[in-house]
Amino acid sequence: MKEESILKVPMFSPWWKKLALSIFPITVVLGIALGVIMENFTPDNLGQFIYAGWALGFIILNLCKEEEEDEMIKSFRLQSFQTGFYWTIWGLLAIVLISFFTNGGLDSEWFSPYLVLFLLNLYVYAAFRYQLYQSKNN
Amino acid sequence: MKNTVKVERAKKNFTQQDLAERIKVSRQTINSIESGKYVPSTVLALKIAKTFETSLEEIFQLEENDWE
Repeated sequence: MKEESILKVPMFSPWWKKLALSIFPITVVLGIALGVIMENFTPDNLGQFIYAGWALGFIILNLCKEEEEDEMIKSFRLQSFQTGFYWTIWGLLAIVLISFFTNGGLDSEWFSPYLVLFLLNLYVYAAFRYQLYQSKNN
Repeated sequence: MKNTVKVERAKKNFTQQDLAERIKVSRQTINSIESGKYVPSTVLALKIAKTFETSLEEIFQLEENDWE
């Protein structure tokens, strides 16, 4: 089946991986710097800031092409999104349970869009790299 | 599914890289197909068969557990 244009996902060139990988340490350094400079920058703010930065890093990594983007890589990518979604459900459920038993409620401040984006993209990336690792190791 | 890609490749004296370049995939993909870790699409399987000038069934055979 030919891919319809509405379903096509534009991908970054492999060069963008370098930018994505640089975002991880930059976010931490910038977050700490903001904590020092801004008085009202709480540890919670720092956590959310790092989640947001790292989520962005993993989003770019997940949208970067491999050097040789053939059908096996595309099938790994599809599987990684499915697996990543599945792991995110379990990861979030674990956080709900930990939050429930430690804070005694479901109205936890642990959750944020940044955390969910971070977890989803981390798991997608991990599932993709795992499949690549498996294919390279007989 | 089992396959005889490695055998056919040896008959033609192709390296994995040679075959990969002919059918426009990575060498890693050829390696994964040969080791049974990756089952190629129909299009790629047909390209492999055409490269080796043989039929699809000569190269790819179903196994018992493919019916489960």
